[in-house]
Amino acid sequence: MALIELKNLTYHYPLTNSPALQDLDLEVQEGEFLAIVGANGAGKSTLCYTISGFIPHFFKGELAGSVSVAGIDPTKAGLGEFVQKVGLVFQNPFNQISGSKFTVYEEIAFGLENLGIDPAEMRERVDEIIRLTRIEDLKDRSPYALSGGQQQRVALASILVMRPQILVLDEPTSQLDPIGSQEVFQVIKDMALQGMTIIMAEHKVEWVAEFADRILALSAGQAIKLGTPREVLGSPELPEHGIGISRYTQVARKALQAGLWPEKRSMPVTLDECVQGFQEIIA
Amino acid sequence: MPDRLSFFIPRESRVHSLNPLTKLALAFSLIILAFFGPGLFLPVALYFFVLVPLSLLGKVGKEFLQTSFRLLLPLFAFLFVMQSLFYPGGETVIFSFWIFSATSEGVVFAFRTATRILVMVSSFLLLLLTTHPSTLMNDLSRRGVPASLSYIITSTLQIIPQMQARAVTIQDAQRSRGLDTGGNLINRIRSLLPLVGPLVFSSLVDVEERAIAIEARAFTLPVKKTSLIDIPDSRGEAVLRWVMAALSLMTIGYRIWLSLN
Amino acid sequence: MNIEIKELVFAYPNGVLALEGVTVGIPTGSLVAIVGQNGAGKTTLVKHLNGLLRPTSGLVQIGDWDTRQRSVAELANRIGFIFQNPDDQLFCRTVKEEVQFGPRSLGFENDRIETLVEAALELTELHEKASQNPYDLSPAWRKMVALASILAMDTPIVVMDEPTTGQDAVSIERISRIVQSLHGSGKTVIAITHDIDFCAENFERMIVMRQGMVVLDGPIQEVVAEREMLASTYVEQPQITRLAKRLGFSTIVYKPDDFIRVLHDS
Ligand SMILES: Nc1ncnc2c1ncn2[C@@H]1O[C@H](COP(=O)(O)OP(=O)(O)OP(=O)(O)O)[C@@H](O)[C@H]1O
Ligand SMILES: Nc1ncnc2c1ncn2[C@@H]1O[C@H](COP(=O)(O)OP(=O)(O)OP(=O)(O)O)[C@@H](O)[C@H]1O
Ligand SMILES: [Mg+2]
Ligand SMILES: [Mg+2]
Repeated sequence: MALIELKNLTYHYPLTNSPALQDLDLEVQEGEFLAIVGANGAGKSTLCYTISGFIPHFFKGELAGSVSVAGIDPTKAGLGEFVQKVGLVFQNPFNQISGSKFTVYEEIAFGLENLGIDPAEMRERVDEIIRLTRIEDLKDRSPYALSGGQQQRVALASILVMRPQILVLDEPTSQLDPIGSQEVFQVIKDMALQGMTIIMAEHKVEWVAEFADRILALSAGQAIKLGTPREVLGSPELPEHGIGISRYTQVARKALQAGLWPEKRSMPVTLDECVQGFQEIIA
Repeated sequence: MPDRLSFFIPRESRVHSLNPLTKLALAFSLIILAFFGPGLFLPVALYFFVLVPLSLLGKVGKEFLQTSFRLLLPLFAFLFVMQSLFYPGGETVIFSFWIFSATSEGVVFAFRTATRILVMVSSFLLLLLTTHPSTLMNDLSRRGVPASLSYIITSTLQIIPQMQARAVTIQDAQRSRGLDTGGNLINRIRSLLPLVGPLVFSSLVDVEERAIAIEARAFTLPVKKTSLIDIPDSRGEAVLRWVMAALSLMTIGYRIWLSLN
Repeated sequence: MNIEIKELVFAYPNGVLALEGVTVGIPTGSLVAIVGQNGAGKTTLVKHLNGLLRPTSGLVQIGDWDTRQRSVAELANRIGFIFQNPDDQLFCRTVKEEVQFGPRSLGFENDRIETLVEAALELTELHEKASQNPYDLSPAWRKMVALASILAMDTPIVVMDEPTTGQDAVSIERISRIVQSLHGSGKTVIAITHDIDFCAENFERMIVMRQGMVVLDGPIQEVVAEREMLASTYVEQPQITRLAKRLGFSTIVYKPDDFIRVLHDS
């Protein structure tokens, strides 16, 4: 059985008529890195909440179909069981601070205190995560006196440190500098290789194409594509659904129209694929 | 956002290194003594002979006196004027002018109320200035207080600095869009009006957002929490706490006994 | 309305030295992007333009005004500032009130307020959301409300802190259009962004910051060529520039159409 299984999932937020998610089927295996793409309002965050138990525990509303995450059924189990297995990094990096801690270091340790981790191990784990997310020089600073990107790194570190079996990330690099985003993708990819299961909503298709195993494209709450990065991001329908494509795909499309892209090649989604295609043309 | 969302001032002192529960117990027993204990001058004595020396010992004397005066002076002025003039049943007139006359019963009542409030506010202030809010929270939940209850206690204690921070943020936003908040007193007071609505609303939003943020960090998980910062405690302090509890009970008992007679 | 920043140094109350001597001049009508690593001091720098922060030392001038002698409210006549975090900016109960707040506080005539608010809602496509509470909107739309509320102030200078974060392709398109229309009407537009492709395709000049200092400042085509300098502040070259470089192009390109042209010619 897959680690995450959604069958025929439909969800309405309270007091709304149209569903935020509709007839969704999804299976995710252990250790897989699945990215979710979609326009604003497509349902990416809603799906993140569903997989991490915040729907239906925090956001009420109406959930139909079946959900099973690491063997837990959210309609039967409490949020506590979820939080131990599934970590969620929220979309808004500015309101994820616990509010009772004075330093970034203490803030990151907060989740471990709640899990009842022994202080010696706690320090080891916090030190490691601080290094991975490159915030060593901030560790004695107040979590409020930070730049936007620094706050987002702290939010990410605070969940990573808890080592959940499934990690759900809702646009975790939106405030990060370009190379910093790439580093975060790498860190997360490494965790997937070590067996952590990753679900990530993201607009940065350039990096999604490099790092994700599979991509789910959502539009108005429905799955319109599910497959490898090339299958999904190369598909010609994406722009109709308001989903961005990388400059590599864009430029290859323009080149194809101008007869400057090898006809039998599919649309490139990464820099390497793009370079190979144009090299053929130049040669 | 200012980086201080709490009154706590991290310093090394004998008071800082007390167990948070001891300080909480101290605050409560001082308040009980002030409200139910005998004698008109007991609260003042508690303030000057217990609270002020402790704040000095805790190296927060300046902040302690500053904050307690700033918070309480306007209140006291108001209390004295109202109570000494309008206290019902006041008979012993001290002086009078026009249609008002101040009675000594009124003055005594005002004095009693004011000094009690003084002890109440400054006991909490001492606790807050010298106690890391999350140490208090961790210590309470370590002793079996449910997480949500200890969270409510500590977040209530942080409410004033948090509202202040929020107010600064909102005023920055309003000034950036041309709202004049400076200048003469009338202008300043007028600019407070558009602050009230957003402040109330965003404080409510804050509460909800914080609840979901800490939920995601396993805050309500029913396991025994640990603490990054070592929380000090000793047998001596435990004994002290029991003594304070006994004293409080005795004070309340004394009060009940009085009222029965 | 020219902006002059001279030898600007700023330290936060907690002692963090966020700007270590920044000198920049921005003439009227400029289209400038500021890029650089997290914590480089970009937000700190632009908060000096509308007086939310005051120089520890150095000088900031907006036209003939020295910001030290002006209140934030006064500076709002000249500078519209879109905050990085929309939650810090929005405080009204409906989108419409939010957009009206600026022009009202600035004391504009009712007719003008009406026209400006309409235009701002139109440009940001917020018309049908006008009566909603901004808090009920998604983060991407909240940012759009923040943008509209500044557009309606009709300031000669508009500063945007990370306008494209969390926005989908359609919204980024819309923001590009807004930037171009502001530029077309002669206003100065300054945007902080991590989206280097957006920056290359929509702006004329780029200022690169690292650790409280400006390390590069010039026309886009010159700045995007400086791969190593950009990398030292965690910024990458635009995707098109990287692609062209891998293919051995001798000219620097950073827009898809230019790329196709150069490819065609070769
Ligand atoms: N709390 C809520 N109550 C009611 N409706 C909501 C709520 N949150 C989201 N929605 C609606 O559900 C739909 C999906 O929203 P969701 O936030 O999941 O989109 P998203 O893909 O994450 O978008 P974005 O890219 O803007 O983050 C939208 O139509 C949105 O308006
Ligand atoms: N309120 C504050 N108090 C103290 N230090 C702060 C505060 N805000 C930011 N800083 C610090 O000042 C420096 C510059 O921050 P600033 O917000 O200007 O960075 P930035 O370039 O905008 O970064 P980002 O891309 O992450 O938004 C950083 O080291 C940051 O930690
Ligand atoms: Mg979302
Ligand atoms: Mg910033």
